[in-house]
Amino acid sequence: MNEHYAFLKMTAGVLCTVGLYSVLYRENKFYRFFEHVFLGLAAGYAIVALWSENLKEGWYDLLVGSAGTNGHSGPYGHYLYVLLLPIGLMGYFVFSKKHSWMSRVPIGIVLGLWSGQQVQVWWTRYGPQIQDSIKPLLPTVWSPAMKPDTTGMTPALADAVSKNVYLSQAITNVIFVITLLAVLSYFLFSFEVKSKAIRGFSTLGRYLLMIGFGAIFGSTVMMRFALLIDRMYYVWIEWLMNHVIARKF
Amino acid sequence: MDTPQDPTPISAEEVQLLEVKRIEKQAHRTRMILFGLLILASSLPLFLTLNVPNKPTQATVDLYSTIMAVPDGSTILLQTDWTTSTRGESGGEFEGLMRVLMRKNCKVALYSMSDAQAPKVAMDEIVLTLNPERKLKGEREYKAWDDYISLGFFPNAEGETASMAANLRSAWNGKKYINDSGEPEDVFQSPVLSKVQSITSVPLVVIITATSSFNVLIERLSGKVPIVALVTGVMGPETNVYYSSKQIQGLATGMKGVYDLETMMEDGINSPGPNGKVGFQWENHPPVKGFPGETNYGRGKLYFPTLHIDMALLILAVIFGNVGMFMAKKRGNR
Repeated sequence: MNEHYAFLKMTAGVLCTVGLYSVLYRENKFYRFFEHVFLGLAAGYAIVALWSENLKEGWYDLLVGSAGTNGHSGPYGHYLYVLLLPIGLMGYFVFSKKHSWMSRVPIGIVLGLWSGQQVQVWWTRYGPQIQDSIKPLLPTVWSPAMKPDTTGMTPALADAVSKNVYLSQAITNVIFVITLLAVLSYFLFSFEVKSKAIRGFSTLGRYLLMIGFGAIFGSTVMMRFALLIDRMYYVWIEWLMNHVIARKF
Repeated sequence: MDTPQDPTPISAEEVQLLEVKRIEKQAHRTRMILFGLLILASSLPLFLTLNVPNKPTQATVDLYSTIMAVPDGSTILLQTDWTTSTRGESGGEFEGLMRVLMRKNCKVALYSMSDAQAPKVAMDEIVLTLNPERKLKGEREYKAWDDYISLGFFPNAEGETASMAANLRSAWNGKKYINDSGEPEDVFQSPVLSKVQSITSVPLVVIITATSSFNVLIERLSGKVPIVALVTGVMGPETNVYYSSKQIQGLATGMKGVYDLETMMEDGINSPGPNGKVGFQWENHPPVKGFPGETNYGRGKLYFPTLHIDMALLILAVIFGNVGMFMAKKRGNR
């Protein structure tokens, strides 16, 4: 790739980065400009990709067929595929007050296909998780309390050691099951819960949920930092050091 | 002679407004100082050579073992649902994964179910970052069509993945790849996909994602083919349940996941290095070789120390903020 082009591309990236981070100071036109550039590019790219990578290959080319080459006939057109066009276009009638009912036809077809898959999909997704939630609560071995190091053991012995439920694992499982049940009890909205014990248990569930959300929030913050660090690497090392100072352009 | 007049008295509301403005200005200044410190903390360590000790987690050990167990030269499917917006984490994951696959001469069919730009971003990484790195070491560059192929973007993730599970050849029927001379060619003519008949004939599906697109993949493909996931820190807790219930065979999460992967690429698992010593021990695990001396470390090792410094700054800010608030409250009460 032309090095001047690479440098210009990187400089544009730096300008976009600075422009978008300028919102940290305050809302400004520089930020707005780059925000609109970003959205415009993303939307434009998506439209082209939708046509060239999906509709053309998956619908139009099959619809019209091809003449073939070197004296061989190409695939015939599947002209019935043209019926998909009005069905798809019906979706846009959602913008018309008078004819909005027509948009329900494609939505209904999509929902029907989607619903048909849901029983199997639900089970594939949640079945193994439900199965994994059933855990042994009592230890099979009381001493030692923790699983011993199996390094150096024969595979058969290591396997036998690993199959035991040690006290530490049993405690972990008890915490897991209590958390699961407490959080589930928090979502009992279908009827009024009068029992003080269950209400207390669901309050515990709320606190446990908060702990979980806190952990997720911590991960989110770390990810945002990682993104900032990468942007700083791009600006200082990739652009400034490797291109501007090293005069690679 | 004019007599001096008293200044116009300020109403209580105006006093309150002025006070609000003063507090807002002060908060803005404090925020600017914090942002400045954060930018410094995220920039300066990048110029230094810092090392943070690392011990990979069980999930990434399983991820690395699963990838290394793929037969050399086979074709894997790579769902690449990330763009430059999450390059800090996903870029490191992609580079680490591709370095391993390239050393194993694996062929890669990549596609996205989440973002139209994602396949292009992934291919740019191969062309602009990984290939020059290989060329510099005198290794064979990875070629589009022969070694990897982009199937593009599929906007209907649920329908497409269900079709892939039912009949892979039918799902990608009509897919074309534009070759160097501008001619469209059927993707199944490519050496990457020519031997792939169904989803079960693929030894591994890998997903690199910054969104919850793995849900659809797992719903439709789990149990049919081994799956490993490399996700961002945000998606980590949500994906972890799939790893715990063994619906996916391995998982790398965020920056730590990248560094774990790089560590095992260098040291292997229970595998003696060139000096005869085992660099990374994992209890009761068969040896899995690494690639000592190769370009293994990348964004993970580079960014991880900086991330620690940023986190330290965050913790300090939380402590000082709370102490400040406590003292202000105490002053107010008095």
